[in-house]
Amino acid sequence: MATGEFFLEVRCEEIPARMLQPAVKELATRAFEVLLSKGLTPSEVETGFTPRRLVLTLSGLPSRERDREEELLGPPAKIAFDQDGKPTPAAIGFAKKCGVEPTQLKTVNTPKGDYLAADVFTEGRATPEVLAEQIVPILKDLSWAKSMRWAAGQGPWVRPVHGLVALFDQEVVPMTLFGVDAGDSTCGHPIHSPRSFKVSGKADYDRKMTQRGIVVSYEERREQLGNQMEKLAKKLGGQLADDPELLDRLTSTCGIPGVVQGEFDPAYLALPREVLATSLRDHQSAFTIESADRLLPNFLTVMDRADDPEGRVRAGNEWVVAARLDDARFFYSEDRKKTLADRVSDLDHLIFHLDLGSYGDKAKRIRELSTSLCDVLGWNDESDLACEAADLLKVDLTTEMVKEFTSLQGVMGGAYAREDGEAEPVWQAIYDQYRPVSSQDEVPRGRVGLVVAIADRVDTLVGMFGLGMVPSGSRDPFGLRRAAQGLVRIVLEANLPLDLDMVAARSARLYGDRLKKGAEEVLADLRPFIQDRVRRLLGQQGYAYDSIEAAIGAGSSNLPELAARVDAVQRVREEADFLSVVLAAKRIANIVKDTPEQEFDANLLCESAEIDLHKSAEALRAKIEKAEAEGDHESSLRHIAELAEVLDTFFVEVLVMDEDRDLRMNRISLLQSIQRLISRTARLTEVVVDRSEHREKTASKD
Amino acid sequence: MHPDTFLRVLGPEPWKVGYVQPSRRPADARYGENPFRLGKHYQFQVVLKPSPENIQETYIESLEALGIDLKVHDLRFEEDNWEAPTLGAWGVGWQVMLDGMEITQFTYFQQTGGLDLQPISAEITYGLERITMFLGLSRSVYDVDWVADGVSYGQVRHQDEVEFSRYYFEVADVEFLRQTFDGYENEARRCLEAGIVLPAYECALKCSHLFNVLDSRGAVSVTERVALIKRVRDLSVACAKEYVASRERLGFPLLSVESASAGDEEDGRGDG
Repeated sequence: MATGEFFLEVRCEEIPARMLQPAVKELATRAFEVLLSKGLTPSEVETGFTPRRLVLTLSGLPSRERDREEELLGPPAKIAFDQDGKPTPAAIGFAKKCGVEPTQLKTVNTPKGDYLAADVFTEGRATPEVLAEQIVPILKDLSWAKSMRWAAGQGPWVRPVHGLVALFDQEVVPMTLFGVDAGDSTCGHPIHSPRSFKVSGKADYDRKMTQRGIVVSYEERREQLGNQMEKLAKKLGGQLADDPELLDRLTSTCGIPGVVQGEFDPAYLALPREVLATSLRDHQSAFTIESADRLLPNFLTVMDRADDPEGRVRAGNEWVVAARLDDARFFYSEDRKKTLADRVSDLDHLIFHLDLGSYGDKAKRIRELSTSLCDVLGWNDESDLACEAADLLKVDLTTEMVKEFTSLQGVMGGAYAREDGEAEPVWQAIYDQYRPVSSQDEVPRGRVGLVVAIADRVDTLVGMFGLGMVPSGSRDPFGLRRAAQGLVRIVLEANLPLDLDMVAARSARLYGDRLKKGAEEVLADLRPFIQDRVRRLLGQQGYAYDSIEAAIGAGSSNLPELAARVDAVQRVREEADFLSVVLAAKRIANIVKDTPEQEFDANLLCESAEIDLHKSAEALRAKIEKAEAEGDHESSLRHIAELAEVLDTFFVEVLVMDEDRDLRMNRISLLQSIQRLISRTARLTEVVVDRSEHREKTASKD
Repeated sequence: MHPDTFLRVLGPEPWKVGYVQPSRRPADARYGENPFRLGKHYQFQVVLKPSPENIQETYIESLEALGIDLKVHDLRFEEDNWEAPTLGAWGVGWQVMLDGMEITQFTYFQQTGGLDLQPISAEITYGLERITMFLGLSRSVYDVDWVADGVSYGQVRHQDEVEFSRYYFEVADVEFLRQTFDGYENEARRCLEAGIVLPAYECALKCSHLFNVLDSRGAVSVTERVALIKRVRDLSVACAKEYVASRERLGFPLLSVESASAGDEEDGRGDG
């Protein structure tokens, strides 16, 4: 039966879990694109995988490539025929190349003159022939995060390849991948169903795989695993930890979706919950189960088999979990021999960066910077607590637990500080210092947490930028983008009226002479870097890029104020008067550009339109300043928009470039002052105006 | 890394070897108090060069030969790439997990001593304590039978763990270790100059171990760490180059040896 189905299965040794999904996605996309370009568009594309196989099905493919008719251009007509009108060797050669008789050649007129041309018909090839040619190069070229060679030097590919099934409408498509010929037989699980068997296509393959308990569809396998685990968690009287990433990972480590449930000694529940969860997740890829805000002494994980007939799988996993938790308890009890406060001096031996000093030095700078931040924000009651938090902030880097589970840094320090009896704002500040860790995550709780989180990030950014380590391209070994991103989110979301330039300058001073660059130079690099994060964040919130750009153009060191100006621009940007002022601003910018500031003399104004403009501007100046002072940027922009009419009249009636130099310069000076005034809230020239739209709006207003 | 692995995987000559080797990891020492972690454990090392087509099947059969009935266990190969910076060596492979426990490290070597390998060798490292503990589900490694008539692992090895933990964490003299490191480094260089690569490599191995002891003693700062690793690496790279050159001078003698097992046919076991 011809359904135009191409079925492909590549069998190999276990592909790393993290690479499987991207690989089948890339395979499907590239196969689809290449076939599309040949006129072979599949109606459906399906993928699947287990650790040992990649599967691709393309259905509804035509049986042949489309035929092509092209006009090929040959030599110029004037050299194609001799005096007798007979074809020259040039013409004959061209005809031969095109596979036509010289008599079938024609002359076409091109901009370069008359040329010989031939209509060439190429018959489309049968689909299997195209597949045989196109699929293997795509497979070989898949972009693996890490590839290898094997045997005599085969590869490179992700793992050694052992089998290849390639069928088009049940017929084998001849192809060879790393010495392995395509055929029509595959096999099941290497232990439970290793014998090879024939398949005729996707439906037959799925049926035979299902018989062997193997679920090739990733989505289906994930759902089955998730459901089984939720059911088991419920039965235990709890709820499965919410961890979609772990479920993704586990789904990619098995072909047969089986779940194994285990217990551990409840005595381990005395360990901080974070430690238990991290140990189980990171070391054993196991889900924890929660009940009423505490953990149950159970875990769930995945096995690559359907059942556990003798309980060996469970026993083995429990055995390993016990070992892991025992280790965690060892680290914990080692760590608890001293309080965090007792360990502060250990930071002096831990290098933050060779040129920037130890973590002890960093802690002292964070302390100082936190104090200044509390001053600026008027958070006097938090100042002492912020200093305490700063002292302890990085101490967990010296603990055994964090050396073992680096992902617990911050969280572990917070948990230890909590047990040491530190004040709640202090332990929370330590606990939350790396938040937000993702775009969904929240910023630190409480003022102390906010202050030290800002100070820590500014310190890192200023230090690294001060050494000239500005991230470029994908290279960002110190995670500076993430630090800046976090900084921007914290300041914006907590709505903190901080002048970041001042904070950074203060931070640079705290480095003394460690930095290779001066504070001004650091700021010049850092400012655009932070602006980029602001652009991204506000862009994600739906603000137009030019609204953001306009607001940044009028100053960007106070982020909440900046965000409010972006919002104001966004609100008024559709209004006709405002757009009219935007156009005027662009015009002014063109006129005054490159002209230094001029002396202004109101007495030199002579035409009524320029006198009107000056008077209106002076009348609005106070209103604009007042609105700005009150943080009412929208009103400020509306006041600016009030200049629309006088500006329009000015440009209609007044010739700025007057022959009289004094008049000319005075008018330029007037425009310079107008420019400053109307750029108070946003650099209006950045706003993009669709002129046709603007005309319409103006017309409807009139 | 034993010379029968590190050096033999270099160059074109085929090689098949299996041997038991103690592996010392000072940082994992636990004073004999942790039932699962040891400062020294035993590995059964297998190197097959070039890596055979059916190596995974053979490995699975080897587990069955050890008495592990895989029909009732969960065997999985999880990505775990191996790297030894002090040896300029890395490979791609898995940790083999049996019911959630790592029992083997399975690696296709790609480079050693900074040299690209061809052909590629597969190294299978069986963790002997892990496997024996696992077979008996012992709660502690020290309860494992060393021999069947009731001599336990603890009776044979516990003192070793206690004393070496004390040595690594408390007693080892940092200054002496540094001097010894310098001495062996120097000796390795001298051997290389004399054109004797096997003794040179042995000295390099001693440096590698001394570095590990210094590290576990907490005596190595971040920057020094990088510098020490580089010094050992430089020795390893020099040994690797010299070994290949020395084998070439001998005409790669093992190239002419027919592999005894060449042409072995496997049964119908698939590899899916």
